Amino acid sequence: MTGRITKRIAELLVLLIVLSILTFLLMYLAPGDPAQKRLSSQGVAVTKEMLDAERERMGLARPFFVRYGEWAWGVIRGDFGLSLKDDMPVAPKLREGLSNTIVLASASLILSLVFAIPLGILSAVKKNSIFDHTVRILSFIGNSLPNFLISVILMYFFCIWLDLFPIIASGSIQGLFLPALSLAIPMCARFTRQIRAEIQKELERDYVTGLRARGVKESDVLIKNVLYNCMGHIFTIIALQIGTLMGGSVVIETIFRWPGIGKLVMDSITARDYPVIMGFVLIMGTIYVAVNLLSDIICQVIDPRVENE
Amino acid sequence: MSREKQRLKKKMIFAAVCAAILVIIAVFSGVIAPNDPYATNATLIRKPPSAEFIFGTDNMGRCVFSRVLIGARTTIAATFFLVAISFVIGTLIGMLCGYYGGVVDDILMRFADLMLAFPQMVVAIAVAGMLGGGLFGALLALGVTAWTSFARLARSHTLSIKNEPYITVARLSGKKGAYIILHHILPNIVEPVLVNALTQIGTTMIGISGLSFLGLGVVAPQAEWGSMISEGRAYIQIAPWTVLFPAAATVITIIVFNYLGDVVMEYKNE
Amino acid sequence: MSERVLTINNLCVSYGDVDVVCGIDISMEAGDITCIVGESGSGKTTLLRAIHGLERTYINHGEVVFQNDVIASRDVSSGRKYMGRHIGLIPQNPGGSFNPLRPLEKQFKESYRAAGMDYDREELIRIFDKVGLSDGASILKSRPYEMSGGMNQRIAIAAAFALHPSLLLCDEPASALDVTTAGMVVDQLMELRREKNTAILMVTHHLGIARRMADHAGIMKNGRMVEYGDADLIFEDPKDEYTKKLMADIPKL
Repeated sequence: MTGRITKRIAELLVLLIVLSILTFLLMYLAPGDPAQKRLSSQGVAVTKEMLDAERERMGLARPFFVRYGEWAWGVIRGDFGLSLKDDMPVAPKLREGLSNTIVLASASLILSLVFAIPLGILSAVKKNSIFDHTVRILSFIGNSLPNFLISVILMYFFCIWLDLFPIIASGSIQGLFLPALSLAIPMCARFTRQIRAEIQKELERDYVTGLRARGVKESDVLIKNVLYNCMGHIFTIIALQIGTLMGGSVVIETIFRWPGIGKLVMDSITARDYPVIMGFVLIMGTIYVAVNLLSDIICQVIDPRVENE
Repeated sequence: MSREKQRLKKKMIFAAVCAAILVIIAVFSGVIAPNDPYATNATLIRKPPSAEFIFGTDNMGRCVFSRVLIGARTTIAATFFLVAISFVIGTLIGMLCGYYGGVVDDILMRFADLMLAFPQMVVAIAVAGMLGGGLFGALLALGVTAWTSFARLARSHTLSIKNEPYITVARLSGKKGAYIILHHILPNIVEPVLVNALTQIGTTMIGISGLSFLGLGVVAPQAEWGSMISEGRAYIQIAPWTVLFPAAATVITIIVFNYLGDVVMEYKNE
Repeated sequence: MSERVLTINNLCVSYGDVDVVCGIDISMEAGDITCIVGESGSGKTTLLRAIHGLERTYINHGEVVFQNDVIASRDVSSGRKYMGRHIGLIPQNPGGSFNPLRPLEKQFKESYRAAGMDYDREELIRIFDKVGLSDGASILKSRPYEMSGGMNQRIAIAAAFALHPSLLLCDEPASALDVTTAGMVVDQLMELRREKNTAILMVTHHLGIARRMADHAGIMKNGRMVEYGDADLIFEDPKDEYTKKLMADIPKL
């Protein structure tokens, strides 16, 4: 088992190196001249001489891999370069944004799991009951709602009709509710659907009849056995949703002006501030890959039979 | 069992009819639209729904109903285009990898794994952002990862049939690889891959309208639901209809296509 | 006269509008072994389901009485409450009756508690030994997926022993087993009856096993009991045409 995990960690490192190269390549190929961008953001008229000097200073003429190496070495030391917009280091901005995003993402993750796990289990246990049909219809609709749309609807309902919340979240606890809810609704729907399917599959296994035949309490059958056996799969489901959550948080943070890394990257896209975008992709990619590795390990611990192909 | 299958078949026909109606509306939106979706009129700004403008008018006095109709064409056409391209490219790559195997298979499948290893929307936002918006940029950004599910599926199905007797016979009788792939493998694997295409429509639509909403997809003034919602959001308090109708259109369309994908999947598994 | 354990009166079970099993009468006393013989599709598994109530069945006529309580009828379906504590079940695939991912000791403790008994490790290990599992202590520490199919089957039999119900239902327990294990199961069941006076209701398509074990026997065909009574009488001198045909090709166990 440890051998397998070591192998996965090695794979992860390779993956991250490739990701960083692709990210850098993307910026390298992107239209626009960073030197021009940096100079014009200072609000002075740009002359040809200034431009050449700036290009020289930024080392733009050097070969791709030299520039990549320099950037990557910086990233390893936690230095993501200087912003093209205001010449300030990018790393502190990313760090602050990330911590806000983690607050938002965790809140929505917890919110959706609190509902999805019991709903998924009950719906699977009471298969084809009215309850099950209701849960299935609701989760189907939830799954079909883009989260930008949910957020607009929620905003209209809570902020304008009911006047309960501030429209702009800007990092307060009160402001956390609507963005977290916007992210949680479609995610909760997907979790419910997937957890229901997992539990239903597990309920059909022979051992469930065996347990019931020995008179084991139904709550023990469901929680200590069925849910326990499904835990690995449920972690995998969650880990895969983290990716969707990251994309969703960009949209939601922009709408609610939540000062997370997603809003930061949207502002940077408008300003063509490439170092921030690169940092964003790299950080998100790393988290996603790491979370998936973690769910893999949990799966292995729960079900050592999964040696994978 | 067969009663269940009958029931699913009815559901499937219902879903397919709904989807067909949406597609027909999108195709003929130019004819159906009562007004010019791009004609601005300073005297008709943010008029509530009326007989003339049944969905009201937006911030520039444009007819929301006509824009929703034309927007259907943009959204549905873009989605179908992207899914079709990913389907063709993915299936082709998958069949080649599965049939020939070897180094090419290793490299392409590693690459597909790599693409799957990163969150799709994050990649799409970054790529679309770098490309600087526009529908083409958005499609490319989503397409970077969209082909992989088709490739994986086509590959695994190819692997499962490539040693069947009829393919061995074709090979021994001297048929070329390309001929075998097109005449023997493709017809036998196309069904599950098509079902996958169907289930991808909903997600793709969410992706495209999401990027447009962020301003990374369709550029104003072109009508597209995501960007219409984004525009209307600013004056949702005074003119909720500018958001409400494109939102309803988005939800209904995604629901219809997701439903179709779900039922077809269920029917196939039954 | 010894204690009445199970009485089934004119039972009809249906799926939808179709009666799958109809007009069944069975009566069992403590220590009685009754075998219901029938081909697959004759309704014998449905009959067991109607008794234990673990899977949904629709009873539209008659009743199942356990000791003095009606546990299944048109309006009652309380068989589940008796499972474990009073009624045991050895399912068709006994090897799969424990959760493959949890240590067996935990699962046995759970089952003892469910049966209202104190967990007795020494006793359990003795029972393991009796069913041919020599290293009981290490088996209890393992999880079922780590063991062979044959071992898991023996463990399931051991569980039926350890929890000694007053009525044990067996659903073709030998069909998934190899000949040696099947023989072992039969011996163990006979011993269980001898030691604990357990009543055993077994459904099987295997006439050989039925003949070797049964005190009473029933022959089922198309959901009806074509013949029911003393096993020796039925096997030696069948009245029904169908039974006679079956007897012609008894396999020897």
